Amino acid sequence: MALLSMEDISISFYGVYANEHVNLEVEAGEVHALLGENGAGKTTLMNILFGIYQAESGRIRWNGKEARFSSPEEAIRAGIGMVHQHFSLVNAKTVLDNILLGYEKAPFFLPRKKLRRQVLELSDRYGLKVDPDALVGDLSIGEKQRVEILKALFRDIQLLILDEPTAVLTPGETDQLFQVLRQLKQKGFAVILITHRMSEIMGNADRVTVLRDGKCVGTLRTADTDAQALSRLMVGRDLTPAANDGGEAAGAPLLKMEHVSVYRSGRKRPALEDVTLTVRESEILGVAGVEGNGQKELAEAIVGIRRRRVKGRIHLKDQELTGTPVLERTRSGMAYVPDDRQHDALVTAMDIGDNLLLHDYSRAPFSRRRVFRRAAIQQNAQAAMEDYRIRSAGSLGAKSPVRLLSGGNQQKVVLAREITPEARFIVASQPTRGLDVSATAFVREKLLEQKRLGKGVLLISADLEEILALSDRIAVMYNGSIAGVLDRKDATMENLGLMMGGMAGRKEAIA
Amino acid sequence: MKKASALRRILLYIALVLLAATLLVVASGASPVTAFSVFLKGIFGSKNSFCEVFVKGTPLILTGLACAVAFKTGFFNIGAEGQFYMGAAAAAAVALRCDFLPVVPRVILAFAAGFLAGGLWSLIAAGMKLRFGISEIIVTIMLNYIAINFVGVAVRTFLQDPSSGLPQSERLAAAAVLPRLLAGTRVHLGFPIALALTALVWFIMEKTTWGYEMRVVGLNPRAAQVSGISVAGGVVRSAVLSGGLAGLAGVIEFMAIQKKLLEGFSADCGYTGVLIALLAANKPQLVPVAALVYAAAQVGAAAMQREAGVPSAMVSILIGAVVISILARAWLSSRRKEAAHV
Repeated sequence: MALLSMEDISISFYGVYANEHVNLEVEAGEVHALLGENGAGKTTLMNILFGIYQAESGRIRWNGKEARFSSPEEAIRAGIGMVHQHFSLVNAKTVLDNILLGYEKAPFFLPRKKLRRQVLELSDRYGLKVDPDALVGDLSIGEKQRVEILKALFRDIQLLILDEPTAVLTPGETDQLFQVLRQLKQKGFAVILITHRMSEIMGNADRVTVLRDGKCVGTLRTADTDAQALSRLMVGRDLTPAANDGGEAAGAPLLKMEHVSVYRSGRKRPALEDVTLTVRESEILGVAGVEGNGQKELAEAIVGIRRRRVKGRIHLKDQELTGTPVLERTRSGMAYVPDDRQHDALVTAMDIGDNLLLHDYSRAPFSRRRVFRRAAIQQNAQAAMEDYRIRSAGSLGAKSPVRLLSGGNQQKVVLAREITPEARFIVASQPTRGLDVSATAFVREKLLEQKRLGKGVLLISADLEEILALSDRIAVMYNGSIAGVLDRKDATMENLGLMMGGMAGRKEAIA
Repeated sequence: MKKASALRRILLYIALVLLAATLLVVASGASPVTAFSVFLKGIFGSKNSFCEVFVKGTPLILTGLACAVAFKTGFFNIGAEGQFYMGAAAAAAVALRCDFLPVVPRVILAFAAGFLAGGLWSLIAAGMKLRFGISEIIVTIMLNYIAINFVGVAVRTFLQDPSSGLPQSERLAAAAVLPRLLAGTRVHLGFPIALALTALVWFIMEKTTWGYEMRVVGLNPRAAQVSGISVAGGVVRSAVLSGGLAGLAGVIEFMAIQKKLLEGFSADCGYTGVLIALLAANKPQLVPVAALVYAAAQVGAAAMQREAGVPSAMVSILIGAVVISILARAWLSSRRKEAAHV
């Protein structure tokens, strides 16, 4: 009998089904992958299991008994643990404190020594090495994830849910994680692995359930299938995203950064240290690296969001831009597609037309003497929506608030605004994050089109496949500096992975 | 579509309020029929009483606009009360002490001084927010106490009427008083001025690049910064505009109704402004509606207390409940939005 079975689960938001008659069955001692594109309903399904949402219909059977969890506390008490994509740890507390936080069996007077010993035993048993007395804020992302897993295991669970656990890990850390999962499986735990990465499933999961558009399209044994077939199931069709074919040799230098460092207030070590980079015309320079290694600071120093505590010089073509404000850089041909579109790029409460104006609202034809010309704005919005195939919410057209658009359509609004004929150089940071396959293909094609038009692109991405598919050259960031720059033809997953983990100096490891 | 739903919401609340009012009237031992007929007669019974709605509504339109502008642009100004007093004090100083000027320029100067005084008063909070990151909510509330007591000091010292020992200023010269519009009522030029200012504020917020910048800064300061729109510029502008409007409410109350500066003359107009803005969903064009509905309720309640013995505090209780339900509604819908964002 299955440890968990979810039958006929449905839930809708605003009349749109996020899960529609979904079935899922998980056995004890198996790693079960939940595969699907962004927005396919994987996380929603798990949030229902974990008591965060309540299903509108369907049944959950847990350990043979009908169950319904109305809160995560109940789910945890029943033996289900979940590690969310965004960690819920308290940075200012130690690892031990975080693990004990909310531990229900703890007596009022905490026997810290005894519990500390138990935590150490647990971490030994599953190879989850972490110092219980370290401050969580000082840990790497991989270590934080281990703390989250330990925290879940400490509560006597039978099922562990991991939501996109590898999105933030280096290839090395990913291998370690899967070793841990194998151990858990041997000890009889069930693991649900939410992912959209095919490569992780084949070697590591026993079975896989594929979701598409909120519906369950099949459950397969990984042994009986292959990556190609799964990918077709997940997307619903064959799709090969555009790639850089290496045509159009790079031209003259466009963006030149010389010894640029970005300092943080109150800290001695800079977030970005002595970066010297050149991006040429007709060139896509990929910046690979685990997130948080200075990529955001790099982007913001280039486009001028950070000007204070920035050293070094930045040129665009022959124009020195060091210290100039954002708008001046925009006017001289700099465009920016930020990684966090909802916070950095869009005013989600405003409509499409207004969001397209964020740079040019004070220029003709959109306004004259500070008064808006609605006709011009409307026309501009309609043109952009046609060019970029932006699908608005309902019949509102250009008047629909951006918050009602899907992630892909939101990103298209950003692209439509940033990629103008005047934009000569584009900084694109995680441009396809959270997008579905067709929107991803669209964004990639747009970036390649810019290269063909002779523009320069700095592509920052944590997705190595994306970096390899689009870049002419690849710079790897580690710990705030450039660990190395490779030509596309010299780059592989393996050597990039090593450089991302800070092993650039060890040549023998690469060879 | 959105405007219609906001209007529908207001009508729905009025219905709910009536229902709750019936219960409260019964609870206070009066007959609902008598109470309501007195309530309605209090509002619509005579030309004079009906015009009182506009008299009471005028300062509320302006403080409501002040708060709506501020809330829409992310500057949580709870200091309209203090800005009202500073505006009134500045207008009093100009109108009473600059009698070397002819009447018309003196009145215009008094308006300008009142706007500036209110604007600068709230600018203090904007400065503290931008420079030190202190919440403008706290600072504007604290500034209310300072402003209220500053007026208390003023009417005992440099603005005191030398011919009387009372803590109040001398009376405004009759020629400088804002003219009344209808004989036999107190409705005055301030009301059309408030409506004109509503139209002006709506135009600035919706149709100009100024308003656009303020809205962007208020809705998403981070996106403003990334796009090169000055966050400080937006905050300063909304603080001055918001504080200035509250200041003008004080100017008009002084120059049309009270005609002298004295303590406690705001009748909580500034705090009520917060409520008016919430009722109007921070939309300038809906502020006069909300302000007049509120004023009518006050006028009717006063009649009810006079003639049916139902405490007028009942209306305050109801309005408090309405505002809480609006806030709960906003909170619920934002929760639903979060849930849908998966």
